[in-house]
Amino acid sequence: MKKKKIAVLLSFILILALFATGCGNNQSAPEGDSGPGTPTDKKDVLIVGQGADAVSLDPHATNDQPSSRISKQIYETLVTQNEEMELQPALAESWEPIDDLTFEFKLKQGVKFHNGEPFTSKDVKFTLLRGLDSPHIGHIVGSIDPNSIEIIDDYTIRISTKDPFAPLLAHLAHTATAILNEKAVTEFGDDYGQHPVGTGPYKFDSWVNGDRVELVRFDDYHGKAPAIGKVIFRNIPENTNRTIELETGGIDIAYEIPPTDVSRVESNPDLVLQRNMNLSTTYLGFNCNKEHFKDVRVRQAINYAVNMEAIVKSVYKGVGAPSKGPLGPNVWASNQNLTPYEFNVEKAKKLMAEAGYADGFKTNIWTNDNQQRMDIAEIVQNQLKAINIDAEVKVVEWGAFLDGTTAGEHDIFILGWVTVTGDPDYGLYPLFHSSQHGAGGNRSFYVNEKVDALLDQGRTSVDPAVREKAYIEVQQIIKDEAPWVFTWSGEDLAGVRSNVKGFKQHPAGHHKVYTVYFE
Amino acid sequence: MTDQLNVNMSNEDIKKKSTKKRSQYLEVWRRLKQNKSAMVGLLIIIILILSAILAPFIAPYGIDDQDLLNTLQTPSKDHWMGTDNFGRDIFSRIVYGSIISLQVGFISVGIAMIVGGSLGAIAGYYGGKLDNLIMRMMDILLAIPSILLAISIVAALGHGLKNVMIAVGISSIPSYARIVRASVLTLKDQEFVEAARAVGTNNTRIILKHIIPNSMAPIIVQATLGVAGAILSAAGLSFIGLGIQLPTPEWGAMLSSGRQFIRDYPHMTAFPGLAIMITIFGLNLLGDGLRDALDPRLKN
Repeated sequence: MKKKKIAVLLSFILILALFATGCGNNQSAPEGDSGPGTPTDKKDVLIVGQGADAVSLDPHATNDQPSSRISKQIYETLVTQNEEMELQPALAESWEPIDDLTFEFKLKQGVKFHNGEPFTSKDVKFTLLRGLDSPHIGHIVGSIDPNSIEIIDDYTIRISTKDPFAPLLAHLAHTATAILNEKAVTEFGDDYGQHPVGTGPYKFDSWVNGDRVELVRFDDYHGKAPAIGKVIFRNIPENTNRTIELETGGIDIAYEIPPTDVSRVESNPDLVLQRNMNLSTTYLGFNCNKEHFKDVRVRQAINYAVNMEAIVKSVYKGVGAPSKGPLGPNVWASNQNLTPYEFNVEKAKKLMAEAGYADGFKTNIWTNDNQQRMDIAEIVQNQLKAINIDAEVKVVEWGAFLDGTTAGEHDIFILGWVTVTGDPDYGLYPLFHSSQHGAGGNRSFYVNEKVDALLDQGRTSVDPAVREKAYIEVQQIIKDEAPWVFTWSGEDLAGVRSNVKGFKQHPAGHHKVYTVYFE
Repeated sequence: MTDQLNVNMSNEDIKKKSTKKRSQYLEVWRRLKQNKSAMVGLLIIIILILSAILAPFIAPYGIDDQDLLNTLQTPSKDHWMGTDNFGRDIFSRIVYGSIISLQVGFISVGIAMIVGGSLGAIAGYYGGKLDNLIMRMMDILLAIPSILLAISIVAALGHGLKNVMIAVGISSIPSYARIVRASVLTLKDQEFVEAARAVGTNNTRIILKHIIPNSMAPIIVQATLGVAGAILSAAGLSFIGLGIQLPTPEWGAMLSSGRQFIRDYPHMTAFPGLAIMITIFGLNLLGDGLRDALDPRLKN
């Protein structure tokens, strides 16, 4: 009897719970949260909701978006890129090239770390050397020659690369190269990721794992002091909940508004939807090491068989745009004039037959549990049936996904890439150069000597015209050789309450919140 | 002469036994029929089984007939329960989903019943150290919440319908072991078992022919309720993404994929949710009715 009651109860609860998912936990409305109707001048806490918790606030321990969005407020880099991706001085006041390999940086004086230590060139050297040892950010600082970092005086430093490396400055603007304080890092040791110390406008206050990270204004900040005293980054993984929190005033800014909620946020007079094309690209890649996908005809056949434009429209509902190439439209030297593969099942069948796979084959599509990517996988699986390819969709947990695709266990996979620096080197070299197989980023295990040569040329040449020509050609080859099906150029959607001013999204995804004020 | 007499006697014996047996089941059926809610439950289960068998004839569309131009349609004449985010007909998917749910329910309960039942029977009949060993192992399994156990098993074995059935089956083994052991304990000292032992029947035969049939009542009840629990666990596993593979129309997975649209298109979650609820409800009503019908103390 009891069992039965419990079972009936459970089934009811299951249904009810689903209808009630919207009513997330709102009991933790933090102090200072005025809500509608209360005078705004009292409000001194900004609450930002994002879809995942930070992994670590040690910039060398991770390279993921949720972490760097918080790190951006705590740390500063030598140079920085504004929302238009133009280089700006930050901790370095000025810089000049000494020769093809070396830059000299003049550092800003009078800058203090959150622990009171003064900022000097020693910290820069310490940071870069530590970053070079990190497996997570190797592709960002790897070009720097560790033996060449030369301290001229407390506020002058020279940094050289092993080979000429055109995008060095853009790399030094990456949040992963933010300057750390040696004393703080040594003091906290392995726990440093939970006790970050930077020079930024906000200093770390507390971290409730899986729930929120709280930051408070750093009073000795060397730049313009932020208007708001406290910032809270809340982790709200469920998309619907994040939108509801924004609607009800539980949070002031919501990152990553899902495509399904766009019209809801747009039509709400209390909310503003900020839309900006970002530097990300989502793609469907083939593991070119696998028997079937070694044949370029099979890869092209799938490009013809999949109606990617319709898929993107259906899944992303007008957010972002179907990709035209391996680089997003905002990246410099992005080739947007490639002729796309048309949707043509007959042509695809012909290519499959030529490759000897008229009867198709079995394969798998790997994706992580990102909703849109799972949806794409399911539609692609369906469309591949037309050319007799029997694909199994494997939804793999993020960590296992990265490990598995690094080891090359996958056949087809869906993944994204953010060209954080806005430079094509960052968006192409790790993904297509044959030296970058697996962990480096080339998870399609694509090899092409011409591509390698052109990518090397683009990386080492200092003449922008030469670089541009090389990159345009690389993108043409990649389209023709089809290691990818180009999928989606990303767009950042942030929902902002209408009393929040001064917020502007950064194309690389790590938005500044220290310029925000309430009205 | 003597021979013939013997044969006659045993023939008569068999006849008597079978009439008695039939009447016993008839009696249970008679009592079950009186229980209205149990009959409602039975009706629901019959409809469910029929829809599973006749799925290809009932469902107007296939399980993976995507139509990207007709996504997220609300219920209409063409699509009785609307379409999902890929433009697939939800009604068809729910009909096909009944196959999956019944498979999961019956097979995983079958696994649990056979393994758990045998272990329980052995433990109860032989007693002693063996009993202690088996039942302590069952206690260990019981100490872990069954859904957690199922999650870990699926995580270890990998996704897929087969592994879900194994996982749900294994996680409900202990309850069958305990029920069977308990009834074996009460039965093994009864006269008819002693009689069987006295005429030299071996242990296996005693367990299979005398003890198990007489302890069926609680097992049937537990199994009926267990099917409900198994369907629910499988739906739960699929809901959190550990169950079946896409695009299998499992109800829990359908619920889960409708979740992101719940505010604008609640029909995507409502219908699979209702399907789960009604099925569990029916099984529970039937199980409850069977319990009453099979309980000799409630004879009127």
